Amino acid sequence: MELSPKEIERYDRQISISSFGIEAQLKLKRAAVLVAGVGGLGSAAAIYLAAAGVGRLRLVDHGEVELSNLNRQVLYSVEDVGKPKVSAAAKRLRALNPEIEVEAIGERITESNIHGLLKGVDVVVDGQDNFKTRFIINRACVEESKPFVYGAVYGFEGRLMTIIPGKTPCLRCLIPRDPEEPSKVPTIGSLPGLVGSLEALEAIKLITGVGKPFTNKLLIIDGAETAFYIIDVKRDPKCPVCGGK
Amino acid sequence: MIIVLENDMKVTVKTFATLRELFGGTGVLVLQLPENSSVRDLIDALRHRITRASVLKDLENPNSSVKVLVNGREITYLKGLETELRDGDVVAIIPPVAGG
Repeated sequence: MELSPKEIERYDRQISISSFGIEAQLKLKRAAVLVAGVGGLGSAAAIYLAAAGVGRLRLVDHGEVELSNLNRQVLYSVEDVGKPKVSAAAKRLRALNPEIEVEAIGERITESNIHGLLKGVDVVVDGQDNFKTRFIINRACVEESKPFVYGAVYGFEGRLMTIIPGKTPCLRCLIPRDPEEPSKVPTIGSLPGLVGSLEALEAIKLITGVGKPFTNKLLIIDGAETAFYIIDVKRDPKCPVCGGK
Repeated sequence: MIIVLENDMKVTVKTFATLRELFGGTGVLVLQLPENSSVRDLIDALRHRITRASVLKDLENPNSSVKVLVNGREITYLKGLETELRDGDVVAIIPPVAGG
């Protein structure tokens, strides 16, 4: 696999990063990322992954675009309201970067379809809006040894942790007990934008090997004070999902 | 005769996410607690104010999903809920979040 002259021009600004180069760009081209949910987090993550030249993006979301999504879900415009999110998202991403392949899967992620959705992907990026589906993804990623980038938001806050199964704490190690599910999460669009961008960055680092993934740590962003906290997270040897695996 | 209790201490509590919404405003509270109070005492004092906070109840579990930091250090690496507090300490209570 090679880069066309057009691709070399398109990705010039990142290829020129000394630690990146053509080699990292080729790794991106060969890679596939599952964007699990194209809401606020998934919008930002997918845009940056597409722009960076990840060869194949698999978008999964069962939702339709609503007017109340537009404060944060930057993939969509007013004319997309009422349309399935994945098809509107795929159209937008293909327009941004026709060099990549975008798969649009309009399904809800469940225990029965998650393994199929993970087939052939290198990294999973979290675009969910609830704990339950995140735990389904986390378990499947541990079972299949796929890196999973956890991101979440609430109000002016954000969270980030990258999970490398078998090596670093999984989502269950971080959140051992099922929290109450929120009915509607308030948030200002910049926060999912920020966290989604960081998730894309994590995926790019995992794929290319450039830099260091954000593992064994939880990033807590307090946007209200523009404060960033990092706390250590340890693997739980008794974790019902990843303990001993 | 008036007795002035001079051994009370002030602790700043920063609440996050759902807890911040429950306390309202910036979610920052300054609590006056008796000297030698622990994180557990502080949580009890908060639960007294907001009885419907399931996040605070979750903290009673040994494997709670809520992170508590005292001056930036997580209490798991200190003495857990028995961690003693001092005048001027800053305690952060950080529930997990799921929005996207």
